[in-house]
Amino acid sequence: MSELLNENIHIEKTSLFDFHNQMNAKLVPFGGYYLPINYTPGIIAEHNHTRSSASIFDVSHMGQIEISGPFVMEAMEKILPISFSKISPGKVKYTQFLNKEGKIIDDLMIHRTSNENTVWLVVNAACKEKDINHLRENLNKKFDINIRDDLSLIALQGPKSESALLKLAPGIPGMEFMSSAWVNFQNYKILISRCGYTGEDGFEISIPNKYVLSFTQKLLENSDVKLAGLGARDSLRLEAGLCLYGHDINLKISPIEAGLKWSICKERISSADFIGGNSIKHECSKGPSKRLLGFLPKGRAPAREGTLIYDAGENLIGEVTSGGFSPTLSIPISMGYIDSSLIDEKEVFLNVRGKKIPAEIVKLPFVPHNYFKKVN
Amino acid sequence: MTDIYYTKDHEWIKVDGGEGLVGITSYASEQLGDIVFVELPQKGISFDQGKDVAVIESVKAASEIYSPASGEIIETNSSLEENPEIINDDPLVAGWLYKIKIINKEELKNLMNEEEYNKLIGV
Repeated sequence: MSELLNENIHIEKTSLFDFHNQMNAKLVPFGGYYLPINYTPGIIAEHNHTRSSASIFDVSHMGQIEISGPFVMEAMEKILPISFSKISPGKVKYTQFLNKEGKIIDDLMIHRTSNENTVWLVVNAACKEKDINHLRENLNKKFDINIRDDLSLIALQGPKSESALLKLAPGIPGMEFMSSAWVNFQNYKILISRCGYTGEDGFEISIPNKYVLSFTQKLLENSDVKLAGLGARDSLRLEAGLCLYGHDINLKISPIEAGLKWSICKERISSADFIGGNSIKHECSKGPSKRLLGFLPKGRAPAREGTLIYDAGENLIGEVTSGGFSPTLSIPISMGYIDSSLIDEKEVFLNVRGKKIPAEIVKLPFVPHNYFKKVN
Repeated sequence: MTDIYYTKDHEWIKVDGGEGLVGITSYASEQLGDIVFVELPQKGISFDQGKDVAVIESVKAASEIYSPASGEIIETNSSLEENPEIINDDPLVAGWLYKIKIINKEELKNLMNEEEYNKLIGV
């Protein structure tokens, strides 16, 4: 069965595929691409190195999309719950594509560029096709939608990211968190964005495919910088309480339920003039029916995705959507949804292989964010 | 004289008289990666050959352990409760999981010797 599937589904290789192999990566199909789950040091070592120093992740599977045309920002505001009047040129914003019911089609980063006729999007690999269809359905044909698969994307994450990047690309000191800029590097241009999905300071760097290997190798000449795979990326984002599409958020979940209301422009909620706006406005007035929360199961057994959540009276009240072991805290951690009426409960019970494990409800994130704050 | 046998699911059993010590192979430990939790069977409970008897959780996923032989659990490796990573460090000795009183030595013929197991994993 699995062999049949492998023959029928084409899995892409990123420009760093051969390099990952040389570096002894364990490669797995993810979002339609072969990507490293971990390298020789293993997930926990790669995770800890990211929290204390800096790691490179190949995230070239993600979709980089350039949309251009006159008044593109106005057109995108009809789709997304954001206000470009509150996003300066060169700033990056986290947002979601919503359907008419206000549920999440995908979550993404949108860049307001220095060119008022161009916006830049970074979307999830597995959602690329769905997102493009959504854009084509809802954007006037006069706008050009350009999938930039000529560019690779690497994430450099961790407290030593800035010093490592400065050695290669002077001229970015003090770049604000959630901002981006095209920078000349040697004979080509790279797009540097100060953002990431690990809870640490860091950068995502778009690099022409033919230069990504040499750029990565140059970064690795610094002993502070090491490679890290998807395994560490997952445990890092879970500790940081960040939602992963297809797990914590999907077409049945709204951003209000997922605790992402902060990412929606307040004025846009009342005007409700974006796709899904009426549903979001209604949900905000009556309150969401379920909420994403953090759970700390007692003991050492991880409560993974799909684990059912019960109250003390043995009523089923929710489900875990991401769960695993936290290398930073050395305990198991889980995120999941429970009925909104129960969010003030002190304790719930997680059914792990038939055993009801008591778990404390906690606010997200599990590990405080360590984003860069500019000191004036 | 101790004999060691292997299963296709990458468990080993070291047989000494009527007792067997059970663990997972180096290959399995490497494939699983960082082990963070082990759920061991209770002493006194009996299992049939091939039945799931324990669970090993790595950072990535939970994996069932299948008993290489039928018998009663007579001892478990309690040091794994606090330090499950011992399995990664030393899967063949310090990282043993449990000791079983073997009820039917004939069953061991269903298992592989070292040479056969190495062939299975392509060593």
